[in-house]
Amino acid sequence: MSQRSLPSSVRPTPRLAGLACLIAGLAISFGSPGQAAGPNDKVYDSVVRPFLVKHCLDCHGEDAAKARLRLDKLPPEFSAKEPSGSWGKVLDKLRAGEMPPEKRPRPAPAEVRQVQDWIRAGQVAADEAQQQAQGRVVLRRLNRVEYENTIHDLLGIDTRLQGLLPEDESVGGFDNNARALRLSAVHLERYLETADLALDDAICNDRDPPETLRKKYRFRFKGNGQAAWTLSKDDYEVFFMAGSIAYSLRDFAAPRDGRYRVRIHAFAYQSEQPVTMRVGAGDIYALNGTSATAGDVTRHLVGYFDVPPDKANVVEFVDWFHPNDTIRIDPYNTLRNYADLSQYRNGKIDMAEYTGPGLAVGEIEIEGPLVERWPPESHRRLLGSLPMVAVPGAKTKRKYRMDPPRPLFVVSSPEPAENAERILRKFLPRAFRRPVTDAEVKPFVALVQSRLKEGYTFEEALRVGLKAVLCSSEFLYLKEKPGRLDGFALASRLSYFLWTSMPDGELLDLAAKGTLVEPAVLRKQVERMLRDPKAHRFTENFLGQWLGLRDIGATMPDPTLYPEYDELLKVSSVQETESFFEELLKTDLSLLNLVDSDFSMLNERLAWHYGIPGVKGQEFRKVKLPRESGRGGLLTQASVHKVTANGTTTSPVLRGAWVLKNIIGQPAPPPPADVPAIEPDIRGAVTIREQLAKHRQNASCASCHAKIDPPGFALECFDPIGGRRDSYRATVGELVFVDVAKGWRIGFHKGRPVDASGELANGKRFRDITEFKRILLEDKDQIARNLTEKLLVYATGSVIRPADRAAVEAIVTRARAGNYGLRSVVHEVVQSPIFLNK
Amino acid sequence: MKANRLSRRNFLRSSGVMLALPLLDSTLPGALAADKAAAPRRRMVAVTQTLGMHAPLFFPEQPGRDYTLSPYLEPLKEFRDDITVFSGVSHPQAGGGHQAAVSFLTGAQHAGTDWFRNSISLDQVIAERMEAETRFPSLSVGFSNLSWTRFGVQIPAEASAARLYARLFLAGSPEELRTQVRRLRDGQSIMDNVRDGAKRLQTDLGKEDREKLDDYFESVREVEQRLHRAEEWAKKPKPTVTVPQPQDIASGNDILGKTQQLIDVIHLALQTDSTRVVTLSMGGMASVLAVPGVTQGWHDLSHHGNEPRKIAELRILETAIMKTVGYLLGKLKGTREEGETLLDRTLVLFGSNMGNASSHETSNLPVLLVGGGFKHGAHLAFDRKNNTPLCNVYLSMLHRLGLEVKSFGSSTGTIRGLDMK
Repeated sequence: MSQRSLPSSVRPTPRLAGLACLIAGLAISFGSPGQAAGPNDKVYDSVVRPFLVKHCLDCHGEDAAKARLRLDKLPPEFSAKEPSGSWGKVLDKLRAGEMPPEKRPRPAPAEVRQVQDWIRAGQVAADEAQQQAQGRVVLRRLNRVEYENTIHDLLGIDTRLQGLLPEDESVGGFDNNARALRLSAVHLERYLETADLALDDAICNDRDPPETLRKKYRFRFKGNGQAAWTLSKDDYEVFFMAGSIAYSLRDFAAPRDGRYRVRIHAFAYQSEQPVTMRVGAGDIYALNGTSATAGDVTRHLVGYFDVPPDKANVVEFVDWFHPNDTIRIDPYNTLRNYADLSQYRNGKIDMAEYTGPGLAVGEIEIEGPLVERWPPESHRRLLGSLPMVAVPGAKTKRKYRMDPPRPLFVVSSPEPAENAERILRKFLPRAFRRPVTDAEVKPFVALVQSRLKEGYTFEEALRVGLKAVLCSSEFLYLKEKPGRLDGFALASRLSYFLWTSMPDGELLDLAAKGTLVEPAVLRKQVERMLRDPKAHRFTENFLGQWLGLRDIGATMPDPTLYPEYDELLKVSSVQETESFFEELLKTDLSLLNLVDSDFSMLNERLAWHYGIPGVKGQEFRKVKLPRESGRGGLLTQASVHKVTANGTTTSPVLRGAWVLKNIIGQPAPPPPADVPAIEPDIRGAVTIREQLAKHRQNASCASCHAKIDPPGFALECFDPIGGRRDSYRATVGELVFVDVAKGWRIGFHKGRPVDASGELANGKRFRDITEFKRILLEDKDQIARNLTEKLLVYATGSVIRPADRAAVEAIVTRARAGNYGLRSVVHEVVQSPIFLNK
Repeated sequence: MKANRLSRRNFLRSSGVMLALPLLDSTLPGALAADKAAAPRRRMVAVTQTLGMHAPLFFPEQPGRDYTLSPYLEPLKEFRDDITVFSGVSHPQAGGGHQAAVSFLTGAQHAGTDWFRNSISLDQVIAERMEAETRFPSLSVGFSNLSWTRFGVQIPAEASAARLYARLFLAGSPEELRTQVRRLRDGQSIMDNVRDGAKRLQTDLGKEDREKLDDYFESVREVEQRLHRAEEWAKKPKPTVTVPQPQDIASGNDILGKTQQLIDVIHLALQTDSTRVVTLSMGGMASVLAVPGVTQGWHDLSHHGNEPRKIAELRILETAIMKTVGYLLGKLKGTREEGETLLDRTLVLFGSNMGNASSHETSNLPVLLVGGGFKHGAHLAFDRKNNTPLCNVYLSMLHRLGLEVKSFGSSTGTIRGLDMK
C-alpha cells in the first residue's frame, strides 16, 4: 500500500535526537483487557509500547492523565466506528509534530513513523472488516433535490417540490451524505403532501386542453416618454435607461401556469455595437418593486440577451409563468444614471435629441401555455388511454384564485381492480428502480382495493396506491447490499452521481441484462451520461457545494465600496466557473487547470471586470487569458472571491482555510473555543494583515495560522467581488475613479496598499498569486488526490475512510499517467472499487 | 433567430397550495377552561433574528431594576415592568457565526462542524406536551428555521400570513372537509402499508442499514398518531374570528411588514387557543429592508467594521425591529383572558444567536424575556467574560410552563434572579 505523502508544510520537523531519554525504569503495567490479540500485536509489544513508555506516559500514564488520555490503558484495538478515536488522535498529533510537546526530547523520526504506520495499519484493517461486513455507505435517503428530480423524471412533470421539504444537513461538504440524511415525521408528512401535489399535476382532470393564447403586444409610451426615458416611434419604443417601472408589459398577464414562448423584436438603436437586454418575469407588482431579494418567489431573471443593431432581430425563449405573470425588459449597458444627461437642462429632456445608444423594442409575441399533447405525457405514462368521464356537478380543484373551475373529468375503468394492478405493476419497478416481486405488488393492490370497496372512484383509489408508493422506503432510500453492487444498485448510484436523479430506461435495461457491471459497458454509459444535458446538474450540485457557489447570493456588497457590483456580474461569475469546469470535463483537459490555466470561459461583463479586452456580447466563450490579466484557475475567479468574503471585507483566514480544505485537501483544524474573533476595521486605518500579525506572534496560534494565512494573503489581491486591487477600498481618503466599461465610471476611496505576498509554513515564499499557484502545482498529485476524494465523497455519499486510501492512490497514479485529465478521473472514480462496492 | 443568452437561475417557488394538515377545531377558550381545573393556559412565543443587535445600543448600562433605558429599549418603555433584559448569557461552544443560528433554541454545540447534530428545540419540548391540548401543538412561522425535532430535523417555517390564517381559521366547504378527512384516513392506511414494506426491505439489509431504517419506523409511528389526532380535530369546527384573511405583502424585502402580518395571525392563534407554542424567525439577511433610511443590505450593515455611517443605518433598522417586537407585545397586552392579559400568560422570548455580528461572535447575546408570569422589570447582568448558559433561561421558562424537567440543552440550572409570580 503506497504511503500518502504529506506536503512539506505538515511533515513533523525532525529535531535533535540525543537528548536524555525518559527513564524507562518506571514500572508500568498495561492493563490488558483480555481482548483477542490482533496481527499487529507483535509490533505493539516491540515498537509501540516502548515508544509510549519513553515519550508519552509521563503525561499520559498512571501519574498524570493530561487531556484525560491514559495511553497505558489504551488497548491495541481499533474500532471502525470510531476512526477518530483515541488512536486516531494520537496519529494526528504525531503527524502534526505537536506531540511530544516542543520542550520534550524528540523521538527519532524513524520511530515516529513506525508508530504512525502501526496505527494506520490498525485503522485500515478495522475499516476493511467493517466495509466488507456493512459497506462503507450506510442506507442513504434521497435528499430533496434528488427527490424533486426523481419525481420529475418518474412522472414527467416539473412541479416545484423541494421548497416544501425540510432542508438537508451536510457532512463532508455535501448534502447527499448517507449518514447526515435522517428522516423524521416532518419528512413523511411532507412526502404525503408532495405526493399529492405531484399526482395533481401528473393526472389530468380536464377533458379539453387549456386554451393556448397567442397574441402580440407592444409597449406604448407616447405621452409618458419623458418619465420613462424612452422614445416613441411608430413601430417600436426605444428604452434608454434601466429601472423604470414602465418597462413591465402591462397588457399581458399569463392566464394560467405553464410554459410560454416569447418572441421579442428588439434591436440596438443608435449603436453599432450590440446592446444588452435584460428580461425578467413575474408578478407585475414584484417586477416593479425595489431590488431583488434572495428567495423572492414572485419574480425571476429570465436572462441577459445580446441585441444587435439589426432591425429584423428577434429574441426568443420559452419560460415557465405563474398565472398573472408578465415580463419586464430593461436595457443594460445604455444610460446608467441621470448624470449622463447633465447637458440637458432642468431635467427636461427630449429623448429625440439624445444621441447615445438605446434598446428598441417592437412587437412582442407571446404564446402559451404550450401544450404538446392532450392529455399530457405524464397522464398517458401513468394511465395509458383509459377513458375519462365527467363527474356530474363536480368541478376541478382550483390551484390559483384566478383559475376558474372547470367540469371535472376523472379516469374511469370498467375493471378497476385489474387496471389498478396493471398500472401498479408498470409503475413499481420504475419507482423502486429495480424489478419487483409479486409479494411487493400485492399490498399496493390490496390498498387500492380496500378503497374501491369503500366507494372511492377508480382514480381516487388508484391515487392512494400511487401515493403509498411515493412514500415507501423503497422509493425514498437507495437499496445497496454489502459487497459488490448489483446492476440496479449501480445504475442508481451512477445516475444520482451524474444526473442527480433516477436511472433511465437504458441504464435499467443494462442492469437487467447484467452487463452494466462490465467495465466497457460502464465506461460507455458514463460517456453517454456526461453528454446528456442532465449532466449539468452534476456540475451545479457538485461545484455549488464543493466551492460554495450556492452561497453566491448570501451577501450584498456595500454599494458605496463596490458600486460596480450588479446582478449580471453575479450570475456571470457563477456561469464562468460552471462552464470552466464543464470545458475541462468535455475535452478531458487536465484538472490542474483548476489551479492555474491559460484560458477561462468569459462574457463581456466578466471581461470588463477582469480588464480583458476584445470580448463582446454576454454569451460565454472560451477566452485565452492575457498574461497581464493575472487570471487563470479557480483561485482567480470572481465567484470564488465572492463566496469566500462577506460582501464588504475579505479575510485571509477564511480564504486560506477555504484553499486548504477545497484545493489542497488538508483542512485546518477548527479554532480553539476561547479565541475572540477579529473585528475588521474598514475605516482603513489598520489592514487585516496587520491585525492578523498578532496571531503569528503567539506560538499556539501560529502553529495553525502559519498554514492558514498564507494562501489567504495570496488572495488579498482580489476584493470581495473578485476584482483585482493594489489598494483596499475605504470610506475615507483619496477619491479614485475607474472606468468599468466605456461610459461607466465609478469612484471609490483609496485605502491602504495590499500586500499579497507570503511565506508558507515550509518556508517557501511567494510574491503574488502567480508565484503561489506555482508552488501549489509543485505537488500535482495532492491536487488530484483532493479532487478525487471530493468526487468520491459526492459520488458515493460517504466520507473517505481509512481503508479507501489504497483505491484513492490507485486513481491518482492513473490520473498522473493520463496527464490528470478531468474526464478520465471521473471514469476512474466510476471504475474504482470504492464506487462499485457498497 | 435564436438569441444568445445566459442560463438563468431557477428560483425556488412553492406551489401555493395549503398544507394537508388536518383542519383542527378548537372550542372557545371559555368552554375549554371550564373542562379543567382553573389553571391558566400558558403560552410561549420565541422571536428571533440571526444578525444580532448592536450591543452599545441594546444593553442598559446599569444592572438591576433602576437601569436607564437603552436606545433600543426606548420603544418598549411602556412594557418596562414586564421585561427582563439579560446580558452575559450565551450558548457555550455554540460554534461560529451564522451556523450557530440553528442552535439558538436548542443549545446544541459545535454548529457548522461535520459532526454537528442538532437537538430538540425549546418550542418542540413544550409542543410534545401540548399535543392533546390544542389543534396545533406548535406553529413554526417566519423566514428561517428555528424549530428542531427530537431527532435533529428542521421544521420548515410558514412565511405566508395568508396561508397561516387559512390553516387556522378557514373552514372548507363540507365537500372539502370530507376530502380532508378522507385524506387523513388514507394517510393512516398508507402508513400501515409503508410500514409493512419497510419491514420487507429490512430483511434484505445489513445490520447498520437496518438500524438506520429505525428512523423510518419511528417516523411512521409518529405520523400515524398525528394523523389520527388530526382526524379527531377535523370533526370539530375551527374557531371563528372577525378579522379577515390578510393578503400577503408582495414586496419581498418588506420583512418587517410581513412579520407584522404574521404577528397579527399569531395573536389570533393564541387568542383562540389554536396553539400555545409559536416560533417566529425574521429573515431577509441578504436584503435591503424596506425601512425608511436603510439603503444597504442588513448583513452588510451588520458587518459595520466600526464605520459610523453604517452603524447609523443599522440603528435605524434595529430600532424598527424593536418596534416590531413592541407591536407583538402591544397586541398581547391589549387582550384580556380571565382577568389577566394575554401577555401575562405568554412568555415572549426575543433574541439573536449573534452577540457581535461584526466579528461573528456568539457570546453576550441580546436576549429579552417578557410576560408569562415572572417578576420582571430588571436588567439581569451576568458575567460578560464568563457567560451564563442561555439554556438556564430556557429551563426557567419550561418550569413556568409546568414542565418539570431537570435540564435543557446546556443548562446548569434555572437562571438566577428570575422569580415566578
